Amino acid sequence: MYSVELRGATKRYPGAGAEPVVALDDVDFAVEPGEFVAVVGPSGSGKSTLLNVLGLLDDPTDGWRLLDGTDVTELTVGERTAARKESIGFVFQDFHLLPTLTAVENVALPTAFDPGDASDRAADLLGRFGLGDRLDHEPSELSGGQKQRVAIARSLINEPAVLLADEPTGNLDTETGESILAEFERVKEEGVAVVAVTHDPLVEEYADRVVELTDGVLEGGIPGRDPPAEGPSDRDADAALRPGER
Amino acid sequence: MTEGSGGPEPGVGGGSEGARGWLRGWRPAVSMAARNLRRNRVRTMLAVLGVCIGVLAVAGLGIFGNVLALGADDAIGDIGTQVVVSPNADAGVESLSAADVAAIRRAVDDPAVGDPAVVPLYSDNAVVEGPSSQTFATVYGVEEPGLAFEAAEGRLPDRHRQGAIVGAGVAEDLGLGAGDTVGIAGSQVRVVAVLAESQTFSPVAPDDAVFLPESAFAADGYAQALVVAESGATARAAADAIREEVNAREERVDLFELAALVDEINDFFDLLSTFLLGLGAISLVVAGVSILNVMLMSTVERRQEIGVMRAVGVTRRDVLRVLLAEAGLIGAAGAAAGTLLTVLLVAGLVAATPAVDAALVLDPTNGYYLLLALGFGVGVGIVSGAYPAWKAANERPVEALRS
Repeated sequence: MYSVELRGATKRYPGAGAEPVVALDDVDFAVEPGEFVAVVGPSGSGKSTLLNVLGLLDDPTDGWRLLDGTDVTELTVGERTAARKESIGFVFQDFHLLPTLTAVENVALPTAFDPGDASDRAADLLGRFGLGDRLDHEPSELSGGQKQRVAIARSLINEPAVLLADEPTGNLDTETGESILAEFERVKEEGVAVVAVTHDPLVEEYADRVVELTDGVLEGGIPGRDPPAEGPSDRDADAALRPGER
Repeated sequence: MTEGSGGPEPGVGGGSEGARGWLRGWRPAVSMAARNLRRNRVRTMLAVLGVCIGVLAVAGLGIFGNVLALGADDAIGDIGTQVVVSPNADAGVESLSAADVAAIRRAVDDPAVGDPAVVPLYSDNAVVEGPSSQTFATVYGVEEPGLAFEAAEGRLPDRHRQGAIVGAGVAEDLGLGAGDTVGIAGSQVRVVAVLAESQTFSPVAPDDAVFLPESAFAADGYAQALVVAESGATARAAADAIREEVNAREERVDLFELAALVDEINDFFDLLSTFLLGLGAISLVVAGVSILNVMLMSTVERRQEIGVMRAVGVTRRDVLRVLLAEAGLIGAAGAAAGTLLTVLLVAGLVAATPAVDAALVLDPTNGYYLLLALGFGVGVGIVSGAYPAWKAANERPVEALRS
């Protein structure tokens, strides 16, 4: 079972003209638990859309999406939010920490409104990422690398199945970038699937698999398979199953 | 809803458990909101100041109007207890006959009306001469002055048989006291009593009048009859009874009912209070608009942050709570400051102006205006924050994150 999976996912946006913009074109994509996949491609190729669709921030126009084997193609807003919190961690290029919260509070943000206090767990996570002495620092008091480590710790607070990273090294120097990628290696060793969208050749070095997205078309999306040969038959089988699942 | 009705299922929460959960959701929201407000202190302080001024306006003007109304009520409260019955000249009735007075007595002879005293008066005008000066005064003929008036000097006879009872104003003008002699229309009369100064407004104007026995008058009818009741309500009831009985067939009498006047004065002060409150409310609305503006700016600036919160799994409801708490805190802080300022201002005003009666200011009804303003302040904060909060919480995170 894959941690996260897209089948025939298509995403069309209403374009400026009559023709809609196709950001994802019939994409098959799957990531196994503990696998680190780098998605590369030129700007505007649909990488961010892929990440948003995988991360339940955006819905595919066609096709479907599975999370830990569960169909999550069509969820209500509330269900999507819950599923994100439950199974998905995000790491952004700009770190996106809340400036008013300390490192520990930023890490615990996803659970801040839940009963119980996740501070201890957040502190443990920060300790694991070498920030044990920065627990009560605000983001403005942290370096870029430290901020990104806080962001990774935040993405792991709910023990997600998938970690989605958008240009995780984009705002970091090479050395810091490497240390962040080393953290990703540790994360994936815990069975978390890591998907990083990147321009950075360094990320490709650390990835178990590199897939390329060009104009919304993805090559090599399913591990160990040749997508054009296997894809259609899989889709037919799933298509037959789908009505019963809803 | 009780704990017990939920049964064994853990998912079915009781009322108190639900309330606790509700509160638990607000605690982190309020703490996060407080920190967000500290980020842009100047802007927050200005919004708080706006609410503060609005609350000050509502509470201050409300209390001002209320003190005016209380003061007026204090000053005119007694006059509502008299009804003056006079002949209806329009219907050709020149004076009240003995039969009319009897009819009035019959009309009000009812425990439901409080059995008020009926004092018929003859009336004329005459020059009144004191030892050294003279004045022009109303001269009334009255049989039972004790029912309607009070003496400051001397004693009011049960039956007024001889001598003159002098009003406070006339006594002062002419330098008269009980036992002196006064000349009325040429004849000398001994002053048996001087009336206490009238505390209220009355068309009879006893201060500027002299009261003689009925026998001094050769008129064939009374000029008016005073109906003296215990309270404004019984006076009104008496007036209604007289209208019904005496004016049943023919509009024989006119009623001058001060209770109605008091009602109108009270109505006026109610209107004035409402008007002043309305003025205050305008400034509070302006404060609300400033909160709306602050919250809209702040949610637009923090669009990405809110998007991140939503992306990492914070629900729309919790985002809404944080933002509502921010607006609510602005409103609450402004309302508290405004209320405190009002109390200080009113206290300072009472201390500085002896004319203001402290008892009127300390009247508990003024506290109601303070509470009203306090509640309005917080309410304005939440209402103004509702739209920006709702808008921000419902934005799709994928849009908000796109920088």
